[in-house]
Amino acid sequence: MNVNVDLRLKDVPGQLVWALEPISANDGNIRGVVHHHDAMMGGRIAVNVTFEVRTEKTLERILDIWKEREIDVVRMDAVYESFPVQYLLVGNISSEEIEAITRGLESMDGLASLDIRFTGSVTSSKRAAMVTGKAIRKEALDQIEQFFRKHAKDGGYTLIRGLD
Amino acid sequence: MDVLIAGFGVIGQGITEVIRDKQELFRKRFGEEVRIVGALDSRSYSVDPKGLDPSALLTRKLATGRVGAKDLDLDIRQLTDELDYDVMVEVSPTNIVDGEPGSTHIRTALQAGRHVVTANKGPLALNFHELSSLAKKNHVQLRYEASVGGAMPVINLSRELLMGEKIYSIRGILNGTCNFILNRMREEGLPFASALREAQELGYAERDPTYDIDGVDSACKLTILANAIFGMDVTYADVLRTGIRGVTEEAIALAAEQRKVVRLIGEIADGKLEVSPRLVPVGHPLSIGGTLNVAQIITDLAGEITVAGRGAGRKETASALLSDLLAILKDEETRRGTK
Repeated sequence: MNVNVDLRLKDVPGQLVWALEPISANDGNIRGVVHHHDAMMGGRIAVNVTFEVRTEKTLERILDIWKEREIDVVRMDAVYESFPVQYLLVGNISSEEIEAITRGLESMDGLASLDIRFTGSVTSSKRAAMVTGKAIRKEALDQIEQFFRKHAKDGGYTLIRGLD
Repeated sequence: MDVLIAGFGVIGQGITEVIRDKQELFRKRFGEEVRIVGALDSRSYSVDPKGLDPSALLTRKLATGRVGAKDLDLDIRQLTDELDYDVMVEVSPTNIVDGEPGSTHIRTALQAGRHVVTANKGPLALNFHELSSLAKKNHVQLRYEASVGGAMPVINLSRELLMGEKIYSIRGILNGTCNFILNRMREEGLPFASALREAQELGYAERDPTYDIDGVDSACKLTILANAIFGMDVTYADVLRTGIRGVTEEAIALAAEQRKVVRLIGEIADGKLEVSPRLVPVGHPLSIGGTLNVAQIITDLAGEITVAGRGAGRKETASALLSDLLAILKDEETRRGTK
């Protein structure tokens, strides 16, 4: 996850290191720091920091430390890297099964969005269910793939995966 | 160079025509002729140490259904003992159950110190390492460009031109019949059975289409690529395989709504081999239509390389066999120290 924050630091020596240290201590990757010496607001100096963290929990830990250290966060943008999820299941899929698949996917961590469309067949009893969405963690992709492979195997469905 | 052609079906006849028609190239480039000194099919054979007339072989096959006047009353070992040839062109029908008669043909030739050029997937998908080791032990070449993708030069490209690259993965459309069927289902909204029937009527699919539509053919080719390019030790049984029988026209329409097409893709990645239908974005190199084969090779230096070509057919497969014959001629020339 890429994060961009505007911080306000006390105008005393060592404050910048004091603000950046929690990012490094939590395995964050600092990508850019812009120190606005001339932009004093309420006796504080404006600093813009861009960094990368692995999870939302890590970001929460960093925010907590800043709060303890009396570093003000006046603006924050978090941009999640996302990974497309695309699966097409074909077979005698019941409505209950589609509901079960939906519930299973919704309960997974790391799936940011989900859309399921399905159709019946005029020439057979088969239905097709197209699942598209976005995962916010790459590790979630394996879990999602195993989920679909298991459903396809158990239900005797044809599984059509998206090309990575 | 003297050649024995083992198998005289469509591909055997194709390479016979090419050998007949490329004599000038052989003479000009290598200063020698390529002679067919023996040819056999399932019922008959014909030999002449001084060289057979390719046109006469083709005419006899067309007229009688047999390549030779003599019944095939001797086995390949006897024929190899009695006939002095340099290269066996093994093009008997693919048999994925036990690889025969191709495996015995190839094994016999290699053990006798003869080079082998083949388009036969069965022996390679079942006994790749045994046959490769046999070739190495006997200091001869086993070449098989024609076994994967017909005229699409994926094996020699990867092994020779991309020798310095680390190849991370290969994926592609390795069966033109499935591609034709899936493409017709999308273009015309045809049910699978109708598109398959059309493929059969046009001669793209066999009467028994199992090898194609169940992904068997693609899995054999993937096995050959994994062994030949990645140095893996796998057989056809190691491929996770899903065919296209279960793909409906409604599934293809749903994919189209997302600007995707369904393609049967073979993929070697992270040590795993899988053939399965996949959703491919429209415009992606693997979304190609028709009966073409296409492969994407992902490497460390060159990045993504895509190669496409006609995956099957008499002339197309003969083209790949010819490239292997020429490679042997070139190596022999180098070995002899002549230019």
